[in-house]
Amino acid sequence: MTAKRLPYDRLLCTVSLLLVGVGVVMVYSSSAIKAQMKYGDPLFFLKKQLLWAVVGLAVMVWAMYHDYRAFQRYAPVVFLASFLLLLLVLIPSVGVKVNGARRWLRMFGFSFQPSELAKLSLILLLAKFFAGRADRVESFVQGFLPPLLLSGLFFGLIVLQPNFGTAAVLLLAAMALCFVGGVRLTQLGAALFALGALCYLLMLAHPYAQARLLAIMDPARASSKASYQIHQSFYALGPGGILGRGLGDSIQKLFYLPESHTEFIFAIVGEEIGLIGALLVILLFGILLWRGVRIALRAPDLFGTYAAMGVTFAIVSQAAINLGVVTGLLPTTGVPLPFISFGGSSLVTTLLGMGILLSISRFQVTRSRPS
Amino acid sequence: MILPTQHNKRTRRASSLQTDVKPSSDSRGRHRRRMIVLFLSLAAALAIISGRLFSLQVHQYPKLVEAANRQYRRLVPLVSRRGTIYDRNGREFVGSLRVSSIFAQPPQVENRERAASDLAKALGLPAQKVLERLKSDKPFVWIKRRVSPEEATAVSQLDLRGIASIAESKRFYPKQELGAHLLGFVGMDDRGLEGLELQYDDCLAGKPKWVVREQDALGRPIFREEADEAQGCDLYLTIDEVIQYVTERELEAAVAKSQASSGTAIVMDPLTGEILALANYPTFNPNHYAEASSFARRNRAVADYYEPGSAFKIVVGAAALEERLVRPGDRLNGEDGAIEVGGIMIRDHERFGIITFSEVLTHSSNVGAIKVGMRLGKSLYYDYISGFGFGNRSGIDLPGETPGRIRRPKDWSALSLASLSIGQELSVTPLQMLVAVSAVANGGTLVRPYVAGSLKAADGRVVRRGSPVQLRRVIAEGTARTLTNILKGVVTDGTGKAAAVQGFEVAGKTGTSQKLERATGRYSRQKVMASFVGFVPAEQPRLAIIVVIDEPKILQWGGSIAAPTFREIARESLKYLRISPAAGGPFRLAEGMLGAASRLN
Repeated sequence: MTAKRLPYDRLLCTVSLLLVGVGVVMVYSSSAIKAQMKYGDPLFFLKKQLLWAVVGLAVMVWAMYHDYRAFQRYAPVVFLASFLLLLLVLIPSVGVKVNGARRWLRMFGFSFQPSELAKLSLILLLAKFFAGRADRVESFVQGFLPPLLLSGLFFGLIVLQPNFGTAAVLLLAAMALCFVGGVRLTQLGAALFALGALCYLLMLAHPYAQARLLAIMDPARASSKASYQIHQSFYALGPGGILGRGLGDSIQKLFYLPESHTEFIFAIVGEEIGLIGALLVILLFGILLWRGVRIALRAPDLFGTYAAMGVTFAIVSQAAINLGVVTGLLPTTGVPLPFISFGGSSLVTTLLGMGILLSISRFQVTRSRPS
Repeated sequence: MILPTQHNKRTRRASSLQTDVKPSSDSRGRHRRRMIVLFLSLAAALAIISGRLFSLQVHQYPKLVEAANRQYRRLVPLVSRRGTIYDRNGREFVGSLRVSSIFAQPPQVENRERAASDLAKALGLPAQKVLERLKSDKPFVWIKRRVSPEEATAVSQLDLRGIASIAESKRFYPKQELGAHLLGFVGMDDRGLEGLELQYDDCLAGKPKWVVREQDALGRPIFREEADEAQGCDLYLTIDEVIQYVTERELEAAVAKSQASSGTAIVMDPLTGEILALANYPTFNPNHYAEASSFARRNRAVADYYEPGSAFKIVVGAAALEERLVRPGDRLNGEDGAIEVGGIMIRDHERFGIITFSEVLTHSSNVGAIKVGMRLGKSLYYDYISGFGFGNRSGIDLPGETPGRIRRPKDWSALSLASLSIGQELSVTPLQMLVAVSAVANGGTLVRPYVAGSLKAADGRVVRRGSPVQLRRVIAEGTARTLTNILKGVVTDGTGKAAAVQGFEVAGKTGTSQKLERATGRYSRQKVMASFVGFVPAEQPRLAIIVVIDEPKILQWGGSIAAPTFREIARESLKYLRISPAAGGPFRLAEGMLGAASRLN
């Protein structure tokens, strides 16, 4: 058995490329008519997404040929930068307000969501933290409290935007890292319970969140506005059937389904390429999960394990949450589907994460062949 | 999977690669377990989602397809083109223009106040009215029908959600008043309201009028290709545009010349019942029907009745001849122009002494006609009156026909038989009178008049073809011939000289009846109905024509105003039809009668 430099995980790389490809095609299909109508250019969203895909893939390639331990070294710096960006976005004259939420920074003509980068930087910092104090992890003050405070800080800043979906995904990934990092289950359980109570209070403070929850629990009783989106999602998925209406032939994208190229893009996938296409996309995420966990298990050091696990979990759990929303299992959260939903910040940070994962895959502990 | 037993060794090797903190083997094992727990929970989540997808896309597929389709499919009026109406030679009477109509689907309209004010500005409507419509909870409301192309463009540029336009057809009557009472008109929704437009509305309009259309959430059709146009049938009439024009022109001239209140004229083929022209004056313009009075719009040729007066002597004469109660040469006492019946004196316009039966008709003697009527008796005479079609609708394919009025013999007074013999105490339509005289013209057969030659579907298939219908034989052919000879005398020697057409033999009868005063219930001294009904050429009739002039102020006699009008219509029509006096077309008569005979059997 030896740990050596290997070629990167080709299967995982292929899966990433496939997911990016599906995303570009589906963004075009689901947005062309809207773009034509709103901007007079059917390629409006496609062009942007293509540009971000190129940037993202470049970042991924750059990261995968980098020694991932550099990320361990610079994790605190990246974290600090993210923190500053999260603060910056909250400043009224700096952060761009869209639909009542201040989530974007405008730089060089492009909009950028610091919360996406914050998610990755928190994962890297927590990975470094747990790798560094594996022996003290069972102590609450030294093991669990610092990650709790760090993630609470980011969570709070993102909630202030507000962007509950991303905040929740970030917190979930942080808790998963604490779980893998070895925090005592009793402490973790108590924290999760407290978080649950906090979420409940936040929900009470925001009636629309209540309505969204009710729309899932009891669609018949929910107000038509809250359940509209989910019904439109069903009207896309259902008629898609097994084989789908055919690529480009969605009817729901014709202004029936809101957010058809962002949060609800998967409904258009299901409508156009059917159950088979939808299951293939889920299968790609499944393969990503399998390869990601495999890389984590075979990582030569704890940072590699935690970072790989954190990135994998963040991507796949976010996908699961998005798919849960689209299929009516979860209330709408506004979380994009990684790789596929339109959006540059999400795509680039996801691909950066994949680059780190692929980099870790190059330093695997393998069983040496008897020679 | 890496087996746990190999774990320690691997960890040691791994840590030799780097200088990081060495985790205890115990903690490393815990990582593995916890990572696998996370792996399994995420895998389970993906599996649950897959199951949910299966449920939505396979189990609930039919239900969701139906629900989605309900959302896409809206009842929308189909782009339809109303059928065209042609005359018997394919000349267009009515056309349809393509225009746009603006409609709204109120539930989808956003910001109704703004939409209403934008629309109001673009269409020149009051904003309040538009807003009211947009606030309706109906799924479909018209905003404005048949807008100008400029208005349609303006609305499409507004690009409002839930507002769209649809192509409709707009009825257009290029010949203005020509044939107005036959054609009728259509309302705002392109449905026929009067005349043939109403009679054949279902076929002309085409059906169905409302269809289900798939559309996006903004109310625009999803599939851009033109939907199948619901094309109505085309209607080919028996009317001849030229004869119609001549008839209308001459009628109008007659009404003007005699300062009459109104008039009616009908031209028919007496063998087949085909109506060649039908006119009333005053008339109206179907393009602007709303501006006309209901009197002007009413097709009085079939909807109004009048007392036929002396023209009805044809019926009493036909009955008496058929029953052999009288022969043309039989002499009757004219009683010096007056006869007392039931305490009332009935007078002639001339003091006739002894006259023949033929002369009773040619000179229109009331006394003579009453004496002939007396010979017939109540019930026999009544049988002939109804046999000739009076008291029943002729069955013409035009809406609003009245059966006229005739009392049953048991309700008759002592005066009734005498009155009926001179065409009083009963009301007939001009068309009924013409059909009755046509029976004399064609050798004794009552035919059903009709105006729809054929209805052709958009694909050229004939949906319905009008054909001559012989209802019944009312008098023998010999009787008809005898009566025709007598009626020729009316024009050559009698009251109808003005009806003579040079080069042709004309048979006919004048009629001048005093109108009943509504107020007093007595016959007016001033108000009369002047009429002439006849056919030409007498031996091989091609045209049966009736002219009725209501309340002429001057030229009050049927012979002085209606007869010349008959002549003008007949002369021009015969010329137009290229019927020469020499070759009138005897075989056509033979043909027609042969056909009539075979159909009767």
